Amino acid sequence: MNEITLMLEAIKRGEKQASEQLLPLVYDKLRNLAAARMAQENSGQTLQPTALVHEAWLQLAGDGSRSWQNRAHFFGAAADAMRRILIDKARRKSRLKHGGGQSRLDIDDLEIAATTPNEDALRIDEALEKLEQEDPEQARIVVLKFFGGLTNEEVAENLGLSERTVYRQWVCAKARLFRLVRLLEKNDQGQQSSVKNA
Amino acid sequence: MSATKQLEDAIFFTALHMTDPEQRRVFLDQACLGNPALRSVVEEMISTQTDAEDLLERGRSAFSLLSDELPLPALENDAAEDGSGAVDERIGTKVGPYKLLQKLGEGGCGVVYMAEQEKPVRRRVAVKVIKLGMDTKNVIARFEAERQALALMDHPNIARVLDAGATETGRPYFVMELVRGVKITEYCDENKFDTRQRLELFIQVCHALQHAHQKGVIHRDIKPSNILVTHHDGVPVPKVIDFGIAKAIEGKLTEQTLFTAYEQFIGTPAYMSPEQAEYSGLDVDTRSDIYSLGVLLYELLTGKTPFDQKEMMQSGVEGVRRTLREREPQRPSGILTTLHGTELTATAAHRHSDPPKLISLLKGDLDWIVMKSLEKDRTRRYETANGLLMDVQRYLNNEPVVARPPSRRYRFQKLVRRNKIVFTAGGLVVLSLLVGLGLSTWLFIREREAHHAQMILREKAESAEQRAERSEQRAEAREKINQAAIYVHQGKFDDASTLLGDVKSPLPKPSYDGVLAYRTVGEWLALQGRWDESAQRYLGLMEIDKLDPWGAVTLDYQACGVVLLESGQLRKYDAFCRATVDSFATTTNGDAAGRVLKTCLLLPPDANLLRRMQALGDAAEKFFRSLGSQPLWTWSAVPVGLWQYRTGNYDKAIESCRRCLSEKDKTTAQSATLRLILAMSVHQNGDAAAARAQLAQAKEAIDAWFKKGIESGNDSNGHWYDWIFARQLLREAMALIETVPPSAASPAAPPAK
Repeated sequence: MNEITLMLEAIKRGEKQASEQLLPLVYDKLRNLAAARMAQENSGQTLQPTALVHEAWLQLAGDGSRSWQNRAHFFGAAADAMRRILIDKARRKSRLKHGGGQSRLDIDDLEIAATTPNEDALRIDEALEKLEQEDPEQARIVVLKFFGGLTNEEVAENLGLSERTVYRQWVCAKARLFRLVRLLEKNDQGQQSSVKNA
Repeated sequence: MSATKQLEDAIFFTALHMTDPEQRRVFLDQACLGNPALRSVVEEMISTQTDAEDLLERGRSAFSLLSDELPLPALENDAAEDGSGAVDERIGTKVGPYKLLQKLGEGGCGVVYMAEQEKPVRRRVAVKVIKLGMDTKNVIARFEAERQALALMDHPNIARVLDAGATETGRPYFVMELVRGVKITEYCDENKFDTRQRLELFIQVCHALQHAHQKGVIHRDIKPSNILVTHHDGVPVPKVIDFGIAKAIEGKLTEQTLFTAYEQFIGTPAYMSPEQAEYSGLDVDTRSDIYSLGVLLYELLTGKTPFDQKEMMQSGVEGVRRTLREREPQRPSGILTTLHGTELTATAAHRHSDPPKLISLLKGDLDWIVMKSLEKDRTRRYETANGLLMDVQRYLNNEPVVARPPSRRYRFQKLVRRNKIVFTAGGLVVLSLLVGLGLSTWLFIREREAHHAQMILREKAESAEQRAERSEQRAEAREKINQAAIYVHQGKFDDASTLLGDVKSPLPKPSYDGVLAYRTVGEWLALQGRWDESAQRYLGLMEIDKLDPWGAVTLDYQACGVVLLESGQLRKYDAFCRATVDSFATTTNGDAAGRVLKTCLLLPPDANLLRRMQALGDAAEKFFRSLGSQPLWTWSAVPVGLWQYRTGNYDKAIESCRRCLSEKDKTTAQSATLRLILAMSVHQNGDAAAARAQLAQAKEAIDAWFKKGIESGNDSNGHWYDWIFARQLLREAMALIETVPPSAASPAAPPAK
């Protein structure tokens, strides 16, 4: 706990590497937290990743030195951590399903696969990586809102933007992501059909 | 970021917010002039908006599913913080100014501690620290917004909420009056309370809710764990806790937060009203609490909730909504018969009863009371907690309950309800008939039959249209009156008045709350001297009273009459009197006849109207003679004396008034009124001195009353409308006695209007 508090303080002082060190800590905590929650409540409800992040903030960020600034940094790190955790999980599942991606795929299989939640998750993540290259700010907003569960107001605070800008960028980012997903799908299909034809 | 992307985004965002497609086209033409690639990107982005939202929505649920499946590593120390058995490190620390002493319990939404407050008074309180992550700032803001209303609540069955704040770690907490008690259901089972004892506790809970509702506070989370039973001098007293907390932590229920809300804040959907489970958690009013009270009653009686909690949780959000919206719960007596033998025996034993006895006890009235509270359509539930408790009380007193088993009328209403779609499709019927009209014109334009068919179709279309319109208007009026009734409960009379002013006929069936809203607002306006507005509300009330199948002459008639006169609307008063006399001309109820007479004789009526009131006069006189010397007879002397005076029977009028006047009684509206009738009568008989003496006494009493400032008054000294009645009569008497000499006033014929 103290470690995280120290880290947050370091970030506040502007020590860059602290941000990177914060991530693995938050990562571990989020995993544990999710596990603990699932063990306690087995009533079959869905766990909201964003609720987890909020919970983690309350449990992790130590007893002292809790400011709104710290909160912003924490949520930034937590959103990244959450994304990493979930995408890892999706990858593992997807590998299991497709036998490590070795077997040949039919175009029909692909269409079915495109509708599974895992594929959706991975596609979004992939599109998000592309968006990070095209427009880092838009991508950051998506990460904070989507994985961190931050409101526009909180994102604005976090990135030093106006709320209006956050809203505009978020609207554009959604359209962009969809476009990128479609492009990726097209590429995949192209590749797959060439594999099949070969 | 590339300049191209920036430009694309900017044009996309601007175009997206243009609602007029023509405007958007022109904008895109200009913005993308000579750049078809730019245009195609932007147009693609616009056209795929909903697909993009869908994609993100799918992503969101995908991530939810994934987080469900995260591997389970060994629990770490701090992760066990919320688990049971762990030592709570918060004991001994301070939350705000409160020192935590002992953990009292733990629920879905928070941990409750016994704590000590040192300033400004030293006392023990309960501190509830909300468990899960949420937006503390907003929680506290919402609590502050309701604080005023919460502070107004003062009831022995309500645990007061004292304070709210944020812990150092950023969690919201609430401070409440400390209640050392047991959950109501457990308490009843442990003490083997029989059904009657349970109902008596339940009535107290209803009292608490009625009080809160009157102060404008909705609980939103009524369930057994929020009702604790304690002992006061050996008597069990239920206390409702957590008022205002559900609202503060609930916020608005969106799809995204719904599950969180169920699990963490509300705990179980078993006690939720159907409207609470819908997407817009905003539209929740006092009737939602009535529903939850119904569930509580159900559980107290049967040990079960109407819908199984586990089953509900497993069915997911939509499943919960569908269950609450569509499934009719089993009747309490019905659910008992589905229990297994041992469970049923245990349930009955907890209620100091045996299975057959318990089932037959619940069958009938109690079934109906519970089912009325659990109606899906909230307008069919009890409208107030008071209504519910009165019905339970009626059951305990062996009186017929309001929520009675289905009569033929009730079944007919159910039928209408089931066929609501057909009913609301009135508009479609109209449309198809009009289409039919067009077709028939086209097919048989030269035929005589076509002409006839057209006529019939047109008539049908018109009457269907009118019917549809009327039922729509009626529903709208009902909605407004209901809302006004809620405003009245909250003391927002101005808002209620404005809303009632908007109500147009046709009016819905009278309801207790609706009538009360009109009456309260009408009176409130009158007490401020806003006569015109008051008169309008009372005329509205009269319209509703007319729809009452019993056709009772309520005191509302008297109030309406005086208010109309006070606002100077003589023509409306005249029309009102004629309508009233016509409606009640044949009544043989002496009391009712008296009320009509009082209302319609305040100004001298014309000979024609007076003739039509003959039967009423006879009935009132007969009733007056039959009363003997009961204390009420002063009241019934007023219409009789006035009737005799207006018909020129001065001697009789003098006798009636004298019989009921005592020297001692100088302060009531009725004696002042009788003196005025007496004064006018003796004046007509030529005794000017006696007339002046009586007039002076009456004037003194009336002036004294109005000097205090107008107030609503009471049964024994007179209501505000009785006093205004007296003041109006005083004006007539003064005009007569001070300006017309006794000799000129003597003809026996009644003065014309």
